[in-house]
Amino acid sequence: MEMFFHGFMQRAFLASLSISIIAPILGLLLILRRQSLMADTLSHVSLAGVALGLLLGVNPTWTNIFIIMILAVILEYLRTIYRSYSELSVALLMSAGMAIALFLMSLDQAKTSVNITQFLFGSIVTISQEQLILLVGLSAIVALLYVIFRKPLYVLMFDEDTAFTAGLPIKRISILFNALTGVTIAVAMPIVGALLVSAIIILPAAIALRISDCFNGVILIGIFIAISGMNSGLILSYLYSTPPGASITLVFIAIFGLTLITKTFFTHFFKKPTNG
Amino acid sequence: MPYISIKDLAFKYGSETVLTHISFDIHPGDFVILTGENGAAKSTLLRNILGLLKPTNGHVTISKLNNQQQPLTIGYVPQQVASFNVGFPSTVYELVQSGRYQNGRWFKRLNQEDKEHIKSALLAVGMWDMRHKKIGDLSGGQKQRISIARTFVTDADVYILDEPTTGMDKASREAFYQLLKHSCTHHAKAVLMVTHDYNDLQQYATRHVALTRKEGTPWRCFSMDSCKELS
Repeated sequence: MEMFFHGFMQRAFLASLSISIIAPILGLLLILRRQSLMADTLSHVSLAGVALGLLLGVNPTWTNIFIIMILAVILEYLRTIYRSYSELSVALLMSAGMAIALFLMSLDQAKTSVNITQFLFGSIVTISQEQLILLVGLSAIVALLYVIFRKPLYVLMFDEDTAFTAGLPIKRISILFNALTGVTIAVAMPIVGALLVSAIIILPAAIALRISDCFNGVILIGIFIAISGMNSGLILSYLYSTPPGASITLVFIAIFGLTLITKTFFTHFFKKPTNG
Repeated sequence: MPYISIKDLAFKYGSETVLTHISFDIHPGDFVILTGENGAAKSTLLRNILGLLKPTNGHVTISKLNNQQQPLTIGYVPQQVASFNVGFPSTVYELVQSGRYQNGRWFKRLNQEDKEHIKSALLAVGMWDMRHKKIGDLSGGQKQRISIARTFVTDADVYILDEPTTGMDKASREAFYQLLKHSCTHHAKAVLMVTHDYNDLQQYATRHVALTRKEGTPWRCFSMDSCKELS
Protein backbone atom coordinates (compact mmCIF):
# COMPACT_ATOMS: atom_id res chain seq x y z
CA MET A 1 0.00 0.00 0.00
CA GLU A 2 2.88 2.35 0.73
CA MET A 3 3.50 2.83 -2.98
CA PHE A 4 0.26 4.83 -3.27
CA PHE A 5 1.60 7.42 -0.83
CA HIS A 6 4.69 8.25 -2.89
CA GLY A 7 4.20 11.40 -4.97
CA PHE A 8 6.02 9.90 -7.96
CA MET A 9 3.80 6.81 -7.89
CA GLN A 10 0.65 8.91 -7.72
CA ARG A 11 1.89 10.82 -10.76
CA ALA A 12 2.75 7.53 -12.48
CA PHE A 13 -0.76 6.12 -11.88
CA LEU A 14 -2.37 9.31 -13.16
CA ALA A 15 -0.08 9.26 -16.20
CA SER A 16 -0.93 5.61 -16.87
CA LEU A 17 -4.65 6.40 -16.64
CA SER A 18 -4.21 9.17 -19.23
CA ILE A 19 -2.20 6.91 -21.55
CA SER A 20 -4.88 4.20 -21.11
CA ILE A 21 -7.49 6.51 -22.59
CA ILE A 22 -5.36 7.59 -25.56
CA ALA A 23 -3.63 4.29 -26.43
CA PRO A 24 -6.61 2.16 -27.56
CA ILE A 25 -8.03 4.99 -29.71
CA LEU A 26 -4.76 5.66 -31.52
CA GLY A 27 -3.83 1.96 -31.49
CA LEU A 28 -7.03 0.86 -33.21
CA LEU A 29 -6.76 3.57 -35.86
CA LEU A 30 -3.11 2.64 -36.51
CA ILE A 31 -3.97 -1.06 -36.84
CA LEU A 32 -6.87 -0.37 -39.22
CA ARG A 33 -4.66 1.83 -41.40
CA ARG A 34 -2.12 -1.01 -41.46
CA GLN A 35 0.36 1.31 -39.77
CA SER A 36 1.00 -0.59 -36.55
CA LEU A 37 4.70 0.05 -36.99
CA MET A 38 4.18 3.80 -37.31
CA ALA A 39 4.26 4.15 -33.53
CA ASP A 40 7.64 2.42 -33.59
CA THR A 41 8.86 4.80 -36.30
CA LEU A 42 7.71 7.83 -34.35
CA SER A 43 9.42 6.59 -31.20
CA HIS A 44 12.69 6.18 -33.13
CA VAL A 45 12.33 9.68 -34.57
CA SER A 46 11.48 10.88 -31.08
CA LEU A 47 14.95 9.85 -30.03
CA ALA A 48 16.25 12.37 -32.57
CA GLY A 49 14.05 15.01 -30.94
CA VAL A 50 15.34 14.05 -27.49
CA ALA A 51 18.95 14.13 -28.67
CA LEU A 52 18.37 17.57 -30.22
CA GLY A 53 16.83 18.89 -27.00
CA LEU A 54 19.67 17.55 -24.85
CA LEU A 55 22.23 18.96 -27.25
CA LEU A 56 20.63 22.42 -27.26
CA GLY A 57 20.02 22.29 -23.52
CA VAL A 58 16.23 22.71 -23.77
CA ASN A 59 13.41 20.47 -22.52
CA PRO A 60 13.56 17.41 -24.85
CA THR A 61 9.76 17.00 -24.78
CA TRP A 62 9.33 20.30 -26.66
CA THR A 63 12.00 19.62 -29.31
CA ASN A 64 10.46 16.18 -29.65
CA ILE A 65 6.98 17.57 -30.28
CA PHE A 66 8.44 20.04 -32.81
CA ILE A 67 10.28 17.29 -34.74
CA ILE A 68 7.24 15.02 -34.68
CA MET A 69 4.92 17.69 -36.07
CA ILE A 70 7.19 18.03 -39.11
CA LEU A 71 7.35 14.26 -39.40
CA ALA A 72 3.55 13.92 -39.35
CA VAL A 73 3.33 15.92 -42.59
CA ILE A 74 6.22 14.04 -44.24
CA LEU A 75 4.71 10.71 -43.23
CA GLU A 76 1.36 11.53 -44.82
CA TYR A 77 3.11 12.68 -48.00
CA LEU A 78 5.12 9.44 -48.21
CA ARG A 79 2.01 7.39 -47.47
CA THR A 80 0.16 8.95 -50.40
CA ILE A 81 3.01 8.52 -52.88
CA TYR A 82 3.56 4.89 -51.76
CA ARG A 83 -0.14 4.02 -51.31
CA SER A 84 0.26 0.34 -52.05
CA TYR A 85 3.30 0.01 -49.82
CA SER A 86 2.42 2.14 -46.80
CA GLU A 87 4.94 0.24 -44.66
CA LEU A 88 7.70 1.66 -46.86
CA SER A 89 7.23 5.16 -45.41
CA VAL A 90 7.46 3.65 -41.94
CA ALA A 91 10.71 1.79 -42.72
CA LEU A 92 12.25 4.84 -44.39
CA LEU A 93 11.54 7.23 -41.55
CA MET A 94 12.46 4.73 -38.84
CA SER A 95 15.99 4.39 -40.17
CA ALA A 96 16.23 8.14 -40.84
CA GLY A 97 15.12 8.92 -37.27
CA MET A 98 17.57 6.50 -35.72
CA ALA A 99 20.42 7.77 -37.92
CA ILE A 100 19.72 11.41 -36.97
CA ALA A 101 19.49 10.47 -33.27
CA LEU A 102 22.85 8.64 -33.35
CA PHE A 103 24.44 11.47 -35.33
CA LEU A 104 23.26 14.14 -32.88
CA MET A 105 24.27 12.04 -29.88
CA SER A 106 27.78 11.63 -31.25
CA LEU A 107 28.20 15.42 -31.40
CA ASP A 108 28.28 15.72 -27.62
CA GLN A 109 28.30 12.31 -25.96
CA ALA A 110 28.81 13.67 -22.45
CA LYS A 111 25.57 15.64 -22.62
CA THR A 112 23.38 13.11 -24.34
CA SER A 113 24.40 9.51 -23.64
CA VAL A 114 23.46 9.37 -19.93
CA ASN A 115 20.06 11.01 -20.36
CA ILE A 116 19.14 9.11 -23.51
CA THR A 117 19.16 5.80 -21.57
CA GLN A 118 16.32 7.14 -19.46
CA PHE A 119 14.33 7.86 -22.63
CA LEU A 120 15.11 4.45 -24.11
CA PHE A 121 13.84 2.42 -21.16
CA GLY A 122 11.55 4.88 -19.35
CA SER A 123 11.35 5.66 -15.67
CA ILE A 124 8.42 6.25 -13.37
CA VAL A 125 10.44 8.47 -11.05
CA THR A 126 11.12 10.96 -13.85
CA ILE A 127 7.50 12.05 -14.39
CA SER A 128 7.33 15.74 -13.63
CA GLN A 129 4.22 17.75 -12.79
CA GLU A 130 4.59 19.51 -16.16
CA GLN A 131 4.63 16.19 -18.07
CA LEU A 132 1.62 14.98 -16.14
CA ILE A 133 -0.39 18.10 -16.96
CA LEU A 134 0.63 17.72 -20.62
CA LEU A 135 -0.46 14.07 -20.65
CA VAL A 136 -3.80 14.69 -18.93
CA GLY A 137 -4.49 17.57 -21.36
CA LEU A 138 -3.54 15.41 -24.33
CA SER A 139 -5.78 12.53 -23.26
CA ALA A 140 -8.69 14.96 -22.84
CA ILE A 141 -8.05 16.34 -26.36
CA VAL A 142 -7.76 12.87 -27.95
CA ALA A 143 -10.89 11.59 -26.18
CA LEU A 144 -12.85 14.71 -27.16
CA LEU A 145 -11.69 14.51 -30.80
CA TYR A 146 -12.67 10.86 -30.92
CA VAL A 147 -16.15 11.55 -29.56
CA ILE A 148 -16.67 14.38 -32.07
CA PHE A 149 -15.09 12.70 -35.11
CA ARG A 150 -15.91 9.02 -34.51
CA LYS A 151 -18.28 8.82 -37.50
CA PRO A 152 -15.88 10.35 -40.06
CA LEU A 153 -13.07 8.24 -38.56
CA TYR A 154 -15.12 5.06 -38.92
CA VAL A 155 -15.73 5.74 -42.63
CA LEU A 156 -12.12 6.82 -43.21
CA MET A 157 -10.75 3.69 -41.53
CA PHE A 158 -13.12 1.43 -43.46
CA ASP A 159 -12.23 2.74 -46.91
CA GLU A 160 -10.40 5.92 -47.91
CA ASP A 161 -11.99 6.09 -51.36
CA THR A 162 -15.49 5.92 -49.89
CA ALA A 163 -14.52 8.60 -47.37
CA PHE A 164 -13.19 10.84 -50.14
CA THR A 165 -16.37 10.37 -52.18
CA ALA A 166 -18.42 11.24 -49.10
CA GLY A 167 -16.58 14.58 -49.03
CA LEU A 168 -14.29 14.03 -46.02
CA PRO A 169 -10.99 15.98 -45.92
CA ILE A 170 -8.95 12.79 -45.64
CA LYS A 171 -5.53 14.44 -45.95
CA ARG A 172 -6.15 16.90 -43.11
CA ILE A 173 -7.59 14.19 -40.88
CA SER A 174 -4.58 11.95 -41.59
CA ILE A 175 -2.07 14.69 -40.75
CA LEU A 176 -3.93 15.54 -37.54
CA PHE A 177 -3.99 11.86 -36.62
CA ASN A 178 -0.25 11.44 -37.29
CA ALA A 179 0.51 14.56 -35.26
CA LEU A 180 -1.58 13.37 -32.29
CA THR A 181 0.10 9.95 -32.40
CA GLY A 182 3.50 11.64 -32.50
CA VAL A 183 2.76 14.02 -29.63
CA THR A 184 1.41 11.12 -27.54
CA ILE A 185 4.63 9.20 -28.11
CA ALA A 186 6.75 12.25 -27.33
CA VAL A 187 4.92 12.80 -24.05
CA ALA A 188 4.65 9.14 -23.00
CA MET A 189 8.22 8.21 -23.95
CA PRO A 190 10.01 9.39 -20.78
CA ILE A 191 7.63 7.23 -18.75
CA VAL A 192 7.46 3.98 -20.70
CA GLY A 193 10.58 4.24 -22.85
CA ALA A 194 11.14 4.65 -26.58
CA LEU A 195 11.72 0.95 -27.15
CA LEU A 196 8.31 -0.15 -25.89
CA VAL A 197 6.03 2.86 -26.25
CA SER A 198 4.64 1.51 -29.52
CA ALA A 199 3.73 -1.82 -27.88
CA ILE A 200 1.77 0.04 -25.22
CA ILE A 201 -0.16 1.92 -27.88
CA ILE A 202 -0.86 -1.07 -30.12
CA LEU A 203 -1.42 -3.99 -27.72
CA PRO A 204 -4.64 -2.90 -25.90
CA ALA A 205 -6.39 -2.34 -29.25
CA ALA A 206 -4.97 -5.59 -30.67
CA ILE A 207 -6.36 -7.51 -27.68
CA ALA A 208 -9.73 -5.71 -27.83
CA LEU A 209 -10.01 -6.56 -31.55
CA ARG A 210 -10.09 -10.24 -30.56
CA ILE A 211 -12.93 -9.61 -28.14
CA SER A 212 -15.36 -7.09 -29.63
CA ASP A 213 -17.15 -7.18 -32.99
CA CYS A 214 -18.01 -3.48 -33.16
CA PHE A 215 -15.93 -0.32 -33.54
CA ASN A 216 -16.88 1.48 -30.31
CA GLY A 217 -16.76 -1.82 -28.42
CA VAL A 218 -13.10 -2.24 -29.38
CA ILE A 219 -12.29 1.23 -28.03
CA LEU A 220 -14.15 0.72 -24.73
CA ILE A 221 -12.73 -2.76 -24.11
CA GLY A 222 -9.32 -1.45 -25.17
CA ILE A 223 -9.50 1.30 -22.54
CA PHE A 224 -10.45 -1.25 -19.86
CA ILE A 225 -7.55 -3.52 -20.89
CA ALA A 226 -5.14 -0.59 -21.01
CA ILE A 227 -6.10 0.57 -17.50
CA SER A 228 -5.76 -2.96 -16.09
CA GLY A 229 -2.51 -3.71 -17.90
CA MET A 230 -0.79 -0.40 -17.25
CA ASN A 231 -1.62 -0.29 -13.55
CA SER A 232 -0.62 -3.94 -13.03
CA GLY A 233 2.61 -3.25 -14.91
CA LEU A 234 3.36 -0.20 -12.79
CA ILE A 235 2.82 -2.15 -9.58
CA LEU A 236 5.13 -4.90 -10.84
CA SER A 237 7.69 -2.28 -11.81
CA TYR A 238 7.58 -0.78 -8.31
CA LEU A 239 7.67 -4.10 -6.48
CA TYR A 240 10.51 -5.66 -8.48
CA SER A 241 12.35 -2.49 -9.59
CA THR A 242 11.92 -3.45 -13.23
CA PRO A 243 11.61 -0.97 -16.13
CA PRO A 244 7.95 0.21 -16.35
CA GLY A 245 7.74 -0.14 -20.15
CA ALA A 246 8.91 -3.75 -20.05
CA SER A 247 6.66 -4.66 -17.10
CA ILE A 248 3.56 -3.14 -18.73
CA THR A 249 4.33 -4.78 -22.09
CA LEU A 250 4.73 -8.19 -20.44
CA VAL A 251 1.37 -7.82 -18.70
CA PHE A 252 -0.23 -6.93 -22.07
CA ILE A 253 1.42 -9.93 -23.73
CA ALA A 254 0.05 -12.15 -20.95
CA ILE A 255 -3.47 -10.71 -21.43
CA PHE A 256 -3.11 -11.22 -25.18
CA GLY A 257 -2.13 -14.86 -24.72
CA LEU A 258 -4.96 -15.45 -22.26
CA THR A 259 -7.51 -13.83 -24.60
CA LEU A 260 -6.29 -15.92 -27.51
CA ILE A 261 -6.54 -19.19 -25.56
CA THR A 262 -9.96 -18.31 -24.08
CA LYS A 263 -11.37 -17.23 -27.44
CA THR A 264 -10.08 -20.34 -29.20
CA PHE A 265 -11.60 -22.48 -26.45
CA PHE A 266 -15.00 -20.77 -26.71
CA THR A 267 -15.00 -20.81 -30.52
CA HIS A 268 -14.13 -24.50 -30.52
CA PHE A 269 -16.67 -25.64 -27.97
CA PHE A 270 -19.55 -23.18 -28.00
CA LYS A 271 -19.82 -21.34 -31.32
CA LYS A 272 -22.15 -22.71 -33.99
CA PRO A 273 -20.64 -23.05 -37.47
CA THR A 274 -21.58 -20.13 -39.77
CA ASN A 275 -23.19 -20.59 -43.14
CA GLY A 276 -21.90 -19.15 -46.40
CA MET B 1 -28.22 20.76 -66.33
CA PRO B 2 -26.33 17.43 -66.03
CA TYR B 3 -25.21 16.14 -62.62
CA ILE B 4 -21.91 15.01 -64.16
CA SER B 5 -20.34 16.20 -67.39
CA ILE B 6 -17.25 14.54 -68.88
CA LYS B 7 -15.53 16.41 -71.71
CA ASP B 8 -12.75 14.87 -73.80
CA LEU B 9 -11.25 13.05 -70.84
CA ALA B 10 -7.90 11.31 -71.22
CA PHE B 11 -5.82 9.57 -68.59
CA LYS B 12 -2.26 8.25 -68.49
CA TYR B 13 -0.57 5.89 -66.05
CA GLY B 14 2.96 7.32 -66.22
CA SER B 15 3.62 7.77 -69.92
CA GLU B 16 1.07 5.17 -71.00
CA THR B 17 -2.28 6.49 -72.20
CA VAL B 18 -5.09 4.20 -71.06
CA LEU B 19 -8.13 6.40 -71.75
CA THR B 20 -8.75 8.96 -74.44
CA HIS B 21 -11.65 10.88 -76.04
CA ILE B 22 -14.23 10.20 -73.35
CA SER B 23 -17.21 12.58 -73.39
CA PHE B 24 -20.68 12.06 -72.00
CA ASP B 25 -23.13 13.58 -69.55
CA ILE B 26 -25.15 12.05 -66.75
CA HIS B 27 -28.49 13.74 -66.06
CA PRO B 28 -30.99 13.16 -63.25
CA GLY B 29 -33.00 10.03 -64.12
CA ASP B 30 -30.23 8.56 -66.30
CA PHE B 31 -29.27 4.91 -65.87
CA VAL B 32 -25.96 4.66 -67.71
CA ILE B 33 -24.10 1.38 -68.10
CA LEU B 34 -20.41 1.31 -68.90
CA THR B 35 -18.98 -1.76 -70.61
CA GLY B 36 -15.66 -2.83 -72.02
CA GLU B 37 -13.42 -5.86 -72.04
CA ASN B 38 -11.28 -6.77 -69.02
CA GLY B 39 -8.54 -4.17 -68.61
CA ALA B 40 -10.47 -1.51 -70.55
CA ALA B 41 -9.82 1.01 -67.74
CA LYS B 42 -13.50 1.16 -66.72
CA SER B 43 -12.63 1.44 -63.01
CA THR B 44 -9.97 4.02 -63.88
CA LEU B 45 -12.64 6.09 -65.64
CA LEU B 46 -14.88 5.91 -62.56
CA ARG B 47 -11.98 6.99 -60.33
CA ASN B 48 -11.34 9.95 -62.65
CA ILE B 49 -15.00 10.94 -62.43
CA LEU B 50 -14.97 10.69 -58.63
CA GLY B 51 -11.81 12.79 -58.34
CA LEU B 52 -9.72 9.94 -56.94
CA LEU B 53 -7.51 10.29 -60.03
CA LYS B 54 -6.80 13.46 -62.01
CA PRO B 55 -7.44 13.36 -65.78
CA THR B 56 -4.35 14.17 -67.83
CA ASN B 57 -6.55 15.90 -70.38
CA GLY B 58 -10.12 17.14 -70.52
CA HIS B 59 -12.22 17.61 -67.43
CA VAL B 60 -15.02 16.30 -65.27
CA THR B 61 -17.60 18.77 -63.99
CA ILE B 62 -19.82 17.73 -61.11
CA SER B 63 -22.84 19.87 -60.33
CA LYS B 64 -22.72 21.35 -56.84
CA LEU B 65 -26.49 21.15 -56.38
CA ASN B 66 -29.17 18.57 -57.09
CA ASN B 67 -32.68 19.14 -58.51
CA GLN B 68 -33.95 20.33 -55.12
CA GLN B 69 -31.10 22.88 -54.90
CA GLN B 70 -29.50 20.83 -52.10
CA PRO B 71 -25.79 19.85 -52.15
CA LEU B 72 -25.32 16.99 -54.62
CA THR B 73 -24.29 13.70 -53.01
CA ILE B 74 -22.59 10.69 -54.57
CA GLY B 75 -22.75 7.06 -53.43
CA TYR B 76 -19.91 4.81 -54.59
CA VAL B 77 -19.54 1.03 -54.55
CA PRO B 78 -15.95 0.12 -55.46
CA GLN B 79 -14.97 -3.04 -57.30
CA GLN B 80 -14.12 -6.17 -55.32
CA VAL B 81 -15.82 -5.12 -52.11
CA ALA B 82 -15.72 -8.81 -51.21
CA SER B 83 -12.05 -8.35 -50.40
CA PHE B 84 -12.58 -5.52 -47.94
CA ASN B 85 -10.70 -5.55 -44.66
CA VAL B 86 -11.90 -8.75 -42.98
CA GLY B 87 -10.55 -7.70 -39.62
CA PHE B 88 -12.47 -4.43 -39.53
CA PRO B 89 -14.38 -4.35 -36.25
CA SER B 90 -17.89 -3.69 -37.39
CA THR B 91 -21.27 -5.35 -37.46
CA VAL B 92 -23.36 -5.39 -40.63
CA TYR B 93 -25.76 -2.83 -39.12
CA GLU B 94 -22.92 -0.49 -38.10
CA LEU B 95 -21.45 -0.52 -41.61
CA VAL B 96 -24.75 0.08 -43.38
CA GLN B 97 -25.59 2.81 -40.86
CA SER B 98 -22.34 4.60 -41.77
CA GLY B 99 -23.80 5.28 -45.22
CA ARG B 100 -26.30 7.55 -43.52
CA TYR B 101 -23.64 9.81 -41.98
CA GLN B 102 -22.72 11.65 -45.16
CA ASN B 103 -26.11 13.34 -45.53
CA GLY B 104 -25.07 16.13 -43.16
CA ARG B 105 -25.19 13.78 -40.19
CA TRP B 106 -21.48 13.48 -39.41
CA PHE B 107 -22.05 15.22 -36.10
CA LYS B 108 -25.74 14.47 -35.47
CA ARG B 109 -27.61 11.57 -33.91
CA LEU B 110 -29.50 9.39 -36.39
CA ASN B 111 -33.27 9.83 -36.14
CA GLN B 112 -36.19 7.44 -36.68
CA GLU B 113 -36.29 8.18 -40.41
CA ASP B 114 -32.62 7.24 -40.73
CA LYS B 115 -33.27 3.98 -38.91
CA GLU B 116 -36.19 3.21 -41.23
CA HIS B 117 -33.92 3.80 -44.23
CA ILE B 118 -31.30 1.45 -42.81
CA LYS B 119 -33.88 -1.24 -42.08
CA SER B 120 -35.48 -1.08 -45.52
CA ALA B 121 -32.06 -1.19 -47.24
CA LEU B 122 -31.04 -4.25 -45.23
CA LEU B 123 -34.39 -5.91 -45.93
CA ALA B 124 -34.08 -5.09 -49.65
CA VAL B 125 -30.76 -6.95 -49.90
CA GLY B 126 -31.92 -9.78 -47.62
CA MET B 127 -29.43 -9.02 -44.84
CA TRP B 128 -31.71 -7.79 -42.03
CA ASP B 129 -31.49 -11.08 -40.11
CA MET B 130 -27.68 -10.91 -40.24
CA ARG B 131 -27.43 -7.31 -39.03
CA HIS B 132 -25.57 -8.20 -35.82
CA LYS B 133 -22.98 -10.35 -37.58
CA LYS B 134 -19.37 -9.22 -37.86
CA ILE B 135 -18.64 -8.15 -41.44
CA GLY B 136 -15.48 -10.25 -41.53
CA ASP B 137 -17.58 -13.40 -41.05
CA LEU B 138 -19.64 -12.83 -44.22
CA SER B 139 -19.25 -14.55 -47.58
CA GLY B 140 -18.20 -12.58 -50.68
CA GLY B 141 -21.79 -12.30 -51.97
CA GLN B 142 -23.06 -11.13 -48.57
CA LYS B 143 -20.36 -8.45 -48.39
CA GLN B 144 -21.39 -7.27 -51.83
CA ARG B 145 -25.00 -7.02 -50.69
CA ILE B 146 -24.22 -4.96 -47.59
CA SER B 147 -22.07 -2.63 -49.69
CA ILE B 148 -25.07 -2.08 -51.93
CA ALA B 149 -27.31 -1.55 -48.89
CA ARG B 150 -24.79 0.96 -47.52
CA THR B 151 -24.85 2.86 -50.80
CA PHE B 152 -28.65 2.91 -50.88
CA VAL B 153 -28.96 4.35 -47.38
CA THR B 154 -26.83 7.30 -48.45
CA ASP B 155 -29.91 8.28 -50.52
CA ALA B 156 -27.36 9.89 -52.84
CA ASP B 157 -28.32 11.77 -56.00
CA VAL B 158 -25.81 9.83 -58.10
CA TYR B 159 -24.83 6.18 -57.64
CA ILE B 160 -21.49 5.18 -59.13
CA LEU B 161 -21.22 1.41 -59.05
CA ASP B 162 -18.25 -0.68 -60.13
CA GLU B 163 -19.46 -4.19 -61.01
CA PRO B 164 -21.75 -4.26 -57.99
CA THR B 165 -23.46 -7.56 -58.81
CA THR B 166 -20.35 -9.75 -58.75
CA GLY B 167 -21.16 -12.85 -56.70
CA MET B 168 -24.93 -12.27 -56.80
CA ASP B 169 -27.37 -14.85 -58.20
CA LYS B 170 -29.62 -14.04 -61.17
CA ALA B 171 -32.76 -13.38 -59.10
CA SER B 172 -30.91 -10.96 -56.78
CA ARG B 173 -29.36 -9.20 -59.78
CA GLU B 174 -32.76 -8.71 -61.42
CA ALA B 175 -34.24 -7.33 -58.19
CA PHE B 176 -31.29 -4.97 -57.85
CA TYR B 177 -31.61 -3.68 -61.42
CA GLN B 178 -35.34 -3.06 -60.88
CA LEU B 179 -34.56 -1.12 -57.71
CA LEU B 180 -32.03 1.05 -59.59
CA LYS B 181 -34.47 1.63 -62.42
CA HIS B 182 -37.16 2.62 -59.92
CA SER B 183 -34.76 5.06 -58.21
CA CYS B 184 -34.00 6.71 -61.57
CA THR B 185 -37.52 6.95 -62.92
CA HIS B 186 -39.41 7.78 -59.72
CA HIS B 187 -36.80 9.62 -57.62
CA ALA B 188 -34.69 11.27 -60.35
CA LYS B 189 -31.53 9.54 -59.17
CA ALA B 190 -28.70 9.04 -61.67
CA VAL B 191 -26.76 5.79 -62.01
CA LEU B 192 -23.44 5.06 -63.68
CA MET B 193 -22.64 1.37 -63.47
CA VAL B 194 -19.74 -0.70 -64.76
CA THR B 195 -21.01 -4.10 -65.82
CA HIS B 196 -20.37 -7.18 -67.91
CA ASP B 197 -24.10 -7.98 -67.80
CA TYR B 198 -25.09 -5.94 -70.87
CA ASN B 199 -27.77 -8.33 -72.17
CA ASP B 200 -29.73 -8.40 -68.91
CA LEU B 201 -29.36 -4.65 -68.35
CA GLN B 202 -30.53 -3.45 -71.78
CA GLN B 203 -34.16 -3.35 -70.64
CA TYR B 204 -33.38 -1.22 -67.55
CA ALA B 205 -30.63 1.17 -68.66
CA THR B 206 -31.25 4.41 -70.54
CA ARG B 207 -27.80 4.67 -72.07
CA HIS B 208 -24.84 2.47 -72.92
CA VAL B 209 -21.27 3.75 -72.99
CA ALA B 210 -18.81 1.27 -74.51
CA LEU B 211 -15.05 1.49 -74.16
CA THR B 212 -13.11 -0.18 -76.95
CA ARG B 213 -9.61 -0.19 -78.33
CA LYS B 214 -9.37 1.46 -81.75
CA GLU B 215 -7.12 0.06 -84.44
CA GLY B 216 -3.74 1.70 -84.62
CA THR B 217 -3.80 2.85 -80.99
CA PRO B 218 -1.52 1.47 -78.26
CA TRP B 219 -2.71 -1.92 -76.95
CA ARG B 220 -3.85 -0.60 -73.56
CA CYS B 221 -5.44 2.61 -74.82
CA PHE B 222 -9.25 2.62 -74.75
CA SER B 223 -11.63 5.25 -76.00
CA MET B 224 -15.36 5.74 -76.18
CA ASP B 225 -16.74 3.61 -78.96
CA SER B 226 -20.33 4.72 -78.61
CA CYS B 227 -22.84 6.31 -76.31
CA LYS B 228 -26.19 5.03 -77.45
CA GLU B 229 -29.66 5.57 -76.06
CA LEU B 230 -31.31 2.34 -74.95
CA SER B 231 -34.80 3.32 -73.90
